[in-house]
Parts: sequence; structure tokens; C-alpha cells
Amino acid sequence: MIGRWLAGNRGFAVAIALFAVLFVTYNLMHTRGFSTAVLVQNANESVAIGFVAMAQTVPVLMGGLDLSVGAVMTLSACIASVMVNGTMGEIVFGAFVTLLAGTSFGFMNGLLVVYGRIQAIIATLATGAIAIGLALLIRPEPGGDVDGDLGWALTNTVWDFADTYGLAQGGEAAWLQPFINIPVPLILQFGIACLVWLPIKRTVTGMTIYAIGSAEGAAFVSGLPINRAKILAYTLSGFFASCGGLYLAIQTSSGNADMVQAGAYTLNSIAAVVLGGTALLGGSGGVIASLVGALILRVISFYFRILDIDPLLQPLIEGLVLLAAVSFGAGRTFSIRNRLELFR
Amino acid sequence: MKNYLVGAAFLASTILGGAAFAGPTIVAGPGADPTCFAPWSPDIKYMQWPAKTGPFKIALVNGFVGNTWRIQMVKTAKAYAEDPAIKDKIAEFKVVSTGTDAPAQLGAIEDFINQGYDAIVTIAVSPDGFDRVIKLADKNDVVLVPFDNVLDTDAVMQVNEDQLAMGRTWAEFVLKELAAAGKTSGKLLEVRGLAGNSVDRDRSLGIHEVLDASGGAWEVVQVVGNWDDGTAQKVTADAIAVNGQFDGIMAQGGTTGVVQALMDAGHPMVPIAGESENGFRKLVAAHSADGLKGISIGQSPGLVAIAMKAAISALEGNPMPQLISVPLPIADYNQLQDGANYWSDLPDNFFTVNEFPPCGVNVSGPAIMAQSEANTN
Repeated sequence: MIGRWLAGNRGFAVAIALFAVLFVTYNLMHTRGFSTAVLVQNANESVAIGFVAMAQTVPVLMGGLDLSVGAVMTLSACIASVMVNGTMGEIVFGAFVTLLAGTSFGFMNGLLVVYGRIQAIIATLATGAIAIGLALLIRPEPGGDVDGDLGWALTNTVWDFADTYGLAQGGEAAWLQPFINIPVPLILQFGIACLVWLPIKRTVTGMTIYAIGSAEGAAFVSGLPINRAKILAYTLSGFFASCGGLYLAIQTSSGNADMVQAGAYTLNSIAAVVLGGTALLGGSGGVIASLVGALILRVISFYFRILDIDPLLQPLIEGLVLLAAVSFGAGRTFSIRNRLELFR
Repeated sequence: MKNYLVGAAFLASTILGGAAFAGPTIVAGPGADPTCFAPWSPDIKYMQWPAKTGPFKIALVNGFVGNTWRIQMVKTAKAYAEDPAIKDKIAEFKVVSTGTDAPAQLGAIEDFINQGYDAIVTIAVSPDGFDRVIKLADKNDVVLVPFDNVLDTDAVMQVNEDQLAMGRTWAEFVLKELAAAGKTSGKLLEVRGLAGNSVDRDRSLGIHEVLDASGGAWEVVQVVGNWDDGTAQKVTADAIAVNGQFDGIMAQGGTTGVVQALMDAGHPMVPIAGESENGFRKLVAAHSADGLKGISIGQSPGLVAIAMKAAISALEGNPMPQLISVPLPIADYNQLQDGANYWSDLPDNFFTVNEFPPCGVNVSGPAIMAQSEANTN
């Protein structure tokens, strides 16, 4: 059973192992390693990039690419910085509008790719620029007024969340005690990943996403709903990116139409997808795997804070470690029986 | 773990209750060493942290890295940490660059707080969004000192040059030179910096404040040069190609590139206000007689040293101004002197203003940039 899973998810397994080694070593070297404070900090830092990596994965699974994920995250964060405040009802409505905007943006990407017949790279490059333009319109200068309690509650542990909102007797309820040290951002991230992606993956449309990545022609002649799957993939991408943007706005209680940051997130999302073991040509991998890939990306940079590395060498070292990790994941090329498999 | 939770409970309840929590107390001035730590304005408040005994652990959390200014800043920080005047007060000095990534920068600051660092100096990637780390720093009595790109808050001690004043001085100089040439209206080129941060915003506000107040009919063409020679040169060349001739130029940075673009396009030499790059000062010194009447005001990479010194002073329990103003280092075309405030025999791409003698910061630009990487470590 485990053997079969390993054979089918080699890249994912390597990613999990790599992450575990890196993360445990980091905690061993940290003066307050394995404490809740460190875990909360690590989790907060990883949420936005985790969501953007998830967003990038879905189009990549069918051999596409979405260059607008960072921009959609930025746009969503700017919308959230205006909308997510006031009463609890207004906050929920603001969050809903934020997610709806990002999801619609992804849907539009899907329509452009399917019915506009524009190559995904070019279509999303253009719509990414549009998203940044809209973000700048909404928030020409950084700022905003996201609800402070919400920010505090969502960037801390379950206990703080319960305490902030007076739930479960202010976090003291007995049934809550096993969970009080879990960071809320981890629950949000893995919760959304599992609740949204796993059910969709099992539907015909979801499986068609993989089929397109494996062999689009074969998927077409098998009568699979190609167009629907493509639109779904980009819509999901927009949804995950807007989750990242919403969290970013809540975390920083503000929005910033930062073009450079948007670009960096898009590039890092592709790196995270590859690190997680998803094939760039499509057909194999998964959203949860990319989440682990994003965590690896983050944990590498954590080391610069506990080791004494010349600051001007840090980007170089980060790049080398990344290259080594990706090469390690590509190790399967040494064990294949037929070289033709490489051309798949 | 339980302690942490109790602490968190206390923190959460105090924040929600709006009561005072740990961190600096607001005290009456004057602060320590006022010639170095000059208050921004007379009504600035003073902060005091509980005195700690050194030596201290200090971290520098840089954002964007990859232009000369940032590299010079990092080198200055490392050299200053080895300066005999403060070496004994620093137990550990660590530098990280997070790139323009807000969660990564916030995460790095929080990580250093968790690691028990005493002070963190930082160039913020965004003027907003630091509420959480400010709360955590206060809770742990960590002194957080944003400098250069500062935050829109008065809850932390910050160090900067007055960017509004810099913008105003630039515009005033250009208007003065144009008035001397008999022009009270015309077309001006404004080369802006990296979009979205407070330095770019405030400098531009200062420029436009003066232009609007002058009453002249100024048409201002804005281009974005990202404080970078290459980008500034390209956008200036484009602006000249599209708009023809300008009467004056105000560039926030990448000024060497801006002048280079003027010369390449055969544009007449006009009054220009710009940053403190050695190349810009060299060009102004060489061509001021032809009409390139320039003023050079620098945002000094040496600000990092003053931020570090201020952090140590705060940790020792001295009252400190909440906003520390470092005087603008100004030189116009009449004041340029080879070997004193620019160096004709040295490369273009370092910032001439680096040292602040009143603060005992004596790391000069040429000295720091002439050293090889191996020597600074």
C-alpha cells in the first residue's frame, strides 16, 4: 500500500522528506526551537506563498501556466484592505467579495484561454498586468484598515482565536485543550486545500485536468470535458490566489499594490510547484504537494536568520539549494528503463 | 509553553482592552545626545525602554537587495558593528535580506524577536502592516528601529532624513536656477523612485508642494526610474523622445543615468536636482559651466549606522525621540570639491555621503566601497 503510493508520488514523498529534514534541523538549531511561538511565526510567513503555489499548481497540472497568480493575490489583498472591516457581518461580506473577485478573475483567465484561444502564458501575463492596474486604482498608496482583532485572531494559535472572540469559554474549554497550540494559519491553509481540492480532484472534471496534462489528444478523443476542465483550472487558480491575498491583507492589516512583490510571488510559486514534485509538463502532482514545496522554499530562507551567512551571498546560496533540491527530485531519470519515457 | 500562553493571554487582553502594555514609556525630553539624535520636530514625543545591560544582540532585516545603495548600506552596517566605539556593546550582529516580500520581512523580524534579539533595525518594504510585530516587540521589550523607508506610525522609534524637505529643496533649487535664467513657467521632468513606498511618495509630495506654491505654470512629466541608473536612463531617454525639451529635471535617484540620457539625446544642459551618486557629482562638476547646474542631496546609506547607534542608546535606557531626523547632506554645483565630496578617480556607482561626524559614524563611501568583499568580513 505505502509502496504503491510511494511509486506513484515519488516527487511528493521526496518533498515531504526534504521538508521534514530541513524543518527539524532548523528547530534544533533555533534557540526556541519546537516552541509555539516559532511555529506560529513560520506558519504566518508561509500562508501567502502557500496559497499562491496552490493556485499555480492547478494550471500546471494540465500543462499550462498562470503568470497572473501573484497579481491576483495583490489585487485581492487591495480589495480586502478596503472591504474587510466593520461589523462581523461586514467583515464576512468583505471577505466574500474579495474571494469572489479573485475567483472571477481566474474564471476570466479560463475563458480567454479556452474561447479566446490565446496561449495561457500570454493571456495570463496580460491579465496579470490588468490585475496590478486595478490594484493600483483601488490602493494607489499602501494602507488600509483591516479589522485588528481579526488580524490578531487569525495570525495566532487556536487559543488566541478563541480568546479574541470569547469562544469555547475564552479558549479554556476542556475539549479545546488538545488543539490550543495549533497555529490558525496552518488550519486555514491545509483546511482549504483539503476541503476544496480533494473533492474536486475526484470529479470527472477534476480528473480531466490531469488527463489534459498527460495527453490532451487522448483526453479529447475519450470525450472528456476539456473546455470545462480548463476553465475550472484557471478559476480554482484565481480562488486560491485570492485566499492568499485575503490572508496577506489580514496579516498586514493593509493592502499594497506592490508590483515587484507580485512578480516575486509568481516566480516563487513556480519554484514551489516544482519542489513539490509536480511535473511542469503536467499530468502528475498535486496541490498539497505544492504547499509542501512552498514550505521548503520558506524554510530555506529561515536558515539565514540562525546561521551567519554573508547577506550578499544569501540569494546565491538560496538559488543553489533550490537547484540542488529540484535536481534531487528529478532523480527518477536515473532509474527509468526506457529513455523514451523522458520525452513524455 | 504555559508561560507563553499566559503571556499571550495577557497581551491579547491588554490589546483588546486598550490598556497600556509592555514596551516603551512616553517620557519628557530632551533625549540623549541631541546633536546626533535630533528630534524631527519640537513636538515629537520621547520614548524610554527599561535599561538593559549589554552586550546586545542586534539584527538588520533588509528588504530589497540588489542596488548599490543597499549593498553600500549593508557593508556600512557590518563595518560599523566592528567600530571600536560600539564593538564591545554588540554581542552578535546578524543581517538578512528578505526581498520585496512583506510576509518574509515580518516573519524575519518575528523570528529575531523569538530568538531573543535585543534590537532589530529594518528598512520596511511597506509603510503599513507592521502592527503585529510592533505588538510582539513591545511585549518582549525589543527595540524595533525602522529607518530609510519608515512606517506610518508613531508607535516605534524611527530614523530618517526628511524626505519632504528633500523634495522641497530639490524643487526650490531648480526653480531658483530657472528664475535666474528668466523662466517662471515651463516643462519639467520628474524621475520617480520605486513605486509604493513612503520615500518615493514623500519626495514627490515635497516637489509638487513647492511647484504648486510657486504659482508658475509648470507642466510636470513623471516617469518611474526606480532609483536605478539603467532604468532612469531609459525612461529619461523615452521622455525626451516623446516630449522634446525640458526646462529642468528633478530625479529621485539614478541621476547619473538621467544625465547620461540628456547627453546621449543631445538635450541642452538644464538645471537638475538629484541624488548623491559619485557619477552625478562628477558630471555636474564637469558640465556646470555648460548649464548643468545641479544640486545633489543624498539619502545616506550611513543611516543604518545611526539606526544601530540609536537602538543601542535606547537599550541602555536613554530617552529617545520617537522620530530622529538626520540632517540632509546637500551639495550644489558651487560646493563640489574633488576628493572631498566627490571622487573623480573612483567609479560612478557609489553614494558619496556616508559619514555623520556628529554621531561618530566615520565610515566613508569610498573607503567602504573600495574594499573587496573578503576584506569586509
